[in-house]
Amino acid sequence: MLGELFKGLGTTLRYIFKQPVTVQYPEVKRPVRERFRGRHELKRFADGMERCIGCSLCAAACPADAILVVPAENDPEHPRSHGERYAATYEINMLRCIFCGYCEDACPTNAIVLEHQYELSFYDRRAAIYTKEMLLVPPEQGHGEPPPILSQLQRRPSPPALIDL
Amino acid sequence: MPDVTITVDGVTIQVPAGTNVVDAARLANVAIPVFCYHPRMQPVGMCRMCLVQIGTPRLDPATRQPLLDAAGKPVIAMMPKLQTGCTTPVSEGMVINTVSEEVQFAQRGVLEFLLTSHPLDCPVCDKGGECPLQNLTMQWGPGNSRFDYNDKVHFEKPVPLGDLILLDRERCILCSRCVRFQDELADDPVLGFDHRGRNWMIISRSDPPFASKFSGNTTDICPVGALTSSDFRFRARVWELNPTPAVCTLCPVGCNMSLDMRHEHLMRVMPRENAAVNDIWLCDKGRYGHRFIEHPDRLTTPLVRRGEELVEASWDEALQLVAERLAAIQSRHGGQAIAGLAAPRLSNEDLYLFQKLVREQLESNNLDHGIGAPGEPAPDELGALLAVGSGTNLMQLGAGTAVLVLGADPEEEAPLYVLRLRAIRQRGGQLIVANLRPTKLERSATSALRYRAGGELALLHGLLYELERAEGAARPSIKTSGLDQLRRTLRGLTSAQAAEHAGVSSAALAATARTIREAENLIIIYGAEARSAGPAVVEALGALLVLSGKAGRANSGLIALLPGGNSRGALDLGLRPDARPGYAPLARPGLGARELWPAIQEGRVRALWLAGLDPAASLPAARTAIAAAEFVVVQDLFLTESARLADVVLPAASVAERDGTYTNAERRVQRSRQARSPLGQSRPDWQIVAGVAQALAELTISSGAAPAASARRGPAVASAPMGWDYLNVAEVAAEIAERVPGYAGASYAALDATGSPGPWGRQVNEAIYYDGTNYENTEGVGIKLPSLVEDGKTSVSLAPRAVPAVADERPLLLLAQPLAYGGDPLLRGSKLAAHVPAPYVALSSVDAEKLNIKPGDMVRLDSAAGSLSLPARVVSDLPPGVALAPADLPGAALAAVQTGPRTRVSLVKIVTG
Repeated sequence: MLGELFKGLGTTLRYIFKQPVTVQYPEVKRPVRERFRGRHELKRFADGMERCIGCSLCAAACPADAILVVPAENDPEHPRSHGERYAATYEINMLRCIFCGYCEDACPTNAIVLEHQYELSFYDRRAAIYTKEMLLVPPEQGHGEPPPILSQLQRRPSPPALIDL
Repeated sequence: MPDVTITVDGVTIQVPAGTNVVDAARLANVAIPVFCYHPRMQPVGMCRMCLVQIGTPRLDPATRQPLLDAAGKPVIAMMPKLQTGCTTPVSEGMVINTVSEEVQFAQRGVLEFLLTSHPLDCPVCDKGGECPLQNLTMQWGPGNSRFDYNDKVHFEKPVPLGDLILLDRERCILCSRCVRFQDELADDPVLGFDHRGRNWMIISRSDPPFASKFSGNTTDICPVGALTSSDFRFRARVWELNPTPAVCTLCPVGCNMSLDMRHEHLMRVMPRENAAVNDIWLCDKGRYGHRFIEHPDRLTTPLVRRGEELVEASWDEALQLVAERLAAIQSRHGGQAIAGLAAPRLSNEDLYLFQKLVREQLESNNLDHGIGAPGEPAPDELGALLAVGSGTNLMQLGAGTAVLVLGADPEEEAPLYVLRLRAIRQRGGQLIVANLRPTKLERSATSALRYRAGGELALLHGLLYELERAEGAARPSIKTSGLDQLRRTLRGLTSAQAAEHAGVSSAALAATARTIREAENLIIIYGAEARSAGPAVVEALGALLVLSGKAGRANSGLIALLPGGNSRGALDLGLRPDARPGYAPLARPGLGARELWPAIQEGRVRALWLAGLDPAASLPAARTAIAAAEFVVVQDLFLTESARLADVVLPAASVAERDGTYTNAERRVQRSRQARSPLGQSRPDWQIVAGVAQALAELTISSGAAPAASARRGPAVASAPMGWDYLNVAEVAAEIAERVPGYAGASYAALDATGSPGPWGRQVNEAIYYDGTNYENTEGVGIKLPSLVEDGKTSVSLAPRAVPAVADERPLLLLAQPLAYGGDPLLRGSKLAAHVPAPYVALSSVDAEKLNIKPGDMVRLDSAAGSLSLPARVVSDLPPGVALAPADLPGAALAAVQTGPRTRVSLVKIVTG
């Protein structure tokens, strides 16, 4: 019996001199994997245009019915996205979302990306609905280049031509 | 037609001779993909998608008999090249192969080529999800392309074809379905092709562009997303829509439509297939004219007058007030001091309960379904008495059918009938169009008669004379009275005399009579112009049907084009002062709308209840009367002019927010369903009426008086204490079916039946024809009520009515012109509001020259009733002596000059400056 006690304490003693696995969250945050699926972001092209064209394919692919897209027609003078259509409303209910990433797969313009932000907590259900303003990245942080065809044509081409392959 | 035996992919079937290969294969459950072919239009073989292998039995040149092989089977000679299935009619013994490697190679090639110039912008395309090009590519396409994606030709998009339809040239596959629809079906040949090669494109050739009342249908039949409607562009993806079966109430056709909702919002309106009513089409008024449902001006709460202002109130408060005031007026002045007017767009249930409350509870016969404008003709009874018989199906009519359209402009009064009548004509029917002015339907007629103004009765008497004179004249198939009197009148005629009075040639008269006599079926359609000539004309039309021996049969009868979506229902259900539901005449009729206004002024009528009508907007007499009335209740969608003058305003639910049935022009009862919850606190009209009735009943109980109304009620409804606690609208419909003659059987369960679709119904390859075009009808095609004479007891009076002579020497005859895009307040908020013309009076060029009037000049119309100033339009082919003015445009109250449906006016040019 005494032997087992020392055996256990021995394990404790051994770990005292090892690097602890505990992370002091939230002061210290554990890095996530490259393909971690966290909070969504709506990306932009380098020219500042929204990538999202309001096609609703993410909403169609969503198994949890967490996404609401209400599309509208772009004002040709002040377009928000390339092409004729943009998302006037884009909302994701984070309580419903299961972070499966199907929306990313469905997106024809790579507009929606599940990023690495995972700190999602809310005081009420309403706050769990992320609106387009919250999801859309600021213009300077957008990624991706418009494909050369766009600069070639100098007009509003068909949106899938924007896929950066 | 005789059947021929063919073999499709090894399946041997019999199909009618003359069927093309695509349709024949459909009957064998084999799908041949098509883009340009559409079953309602002539095949053109433009898209090459329907290429198949076709073989026919080899014939022995000597005997002309099929050669037989060793096994005794006919030797099949396959055609050396693939054939287009849509342009190839079947023949006896034909063998069709749709799945061979050669056919598949061709199909893949066609699709690969179509996709080379297609932008593949499906994610933003409104057709995506119901697109034949998508579907056919998935099923028959090559899977990948050998062409460079960046080589695609790009055009600027979109190009407006009109203000309703936009063209995306990149997406267009040039199948010409839209062009052919406009040419063949709609008879508005406004679309065409322009340029050639890569720049080949659809253009609109009319001014204003795409001037057609059927333009929305081109977006349906477009097999790609090239044509989109400005009404629906980018509003939602089609798979997100929740289609609700509804019935259009904007005109008497009663088209079946689908309200495509998303989260309680109306996204678009689509046609719903009903072979007997609208086939697979919908006019632009029905398609784009339903935006009033979500108009921000809709009433949402009951309003009660406090002093000068209308303030919001609760339903209980408002209903209580209505009941108290009505009961007080009833007890002080009797029921005849109360009057009720209900709009002919309300559902049968609303109208029935409205008349039940006014008639049975308030004991008044002061009921009507119009506003009493001088231009309103007498209520139309013959349209129900001699309506087209039960079993009528416009889809089956063709050769052997004569359709007489007299005094009607179907394009404006009931647009979809234009498509149906043209289809009957194309299937070999005779279409006779008789009018005093040119209408567009005339172009489609087999024979067109243009009679003189006031000559319609002479024309009809001439036709009756010819019918009577003919050898072996048909006997009336129904009970009639007054035939001898009619014969006596006709005996005094000669054909030449009648023709001269009518202003047509006697040869045309005789030919028309012969067509009518020889036809198997006779449908007579009459509209505002015929009805404005007086009841004698309508009765003569009835006599024409009776004397042709075709009355009371399926596919024969009268169709009256009445204003409003449910005028026939209003008449059937007794929304008139002189008859109960089912056209049972009353011994002591009440006041109609026209007599009502002076009666209110004189204090004989003190309370007025308006359901969905706005007399104050267009009728000055009504406006003063409503202001003078002791108590006015208005239930409506909007705060109308009349509502502003009312004591209580009750918000009503729109057609999309409630269930109900509607009776169309040919007396088909159809059910419309609730697409969204009522806006705000609004309630369906029948619930409002029932609420008032219940408040009245509670009042009677609490005041201790004997409930007079319930004492009379028979045991049939005894289970319901006061007869007013309907749980839902189906209970009202059940009571209508029970109590209204002719409506027996029109229960909700029966209305939901769809019947067998027949060979044109949806088949295995429905997506090819119908994807994105319309909705299959799974919710009921409605019930065609029998005409009243079909019971074998009802008798029709043929005695000619004396026509009162008009003693007015003014030179011009002013007719109210019905317009599809007229002053209907329900068009508000829709794209069609821009199509409502400014007020005008149209003159013939002869008259205009005589009076020195140029287009745009202001002219003053003077009649015995008053005068009105309007800008003039000069129409070259209008007959001299006739002036036309739209009746109900905002800003031009034609009622100011009208002395009746037809008014003699004189015209003066107003010289300004």
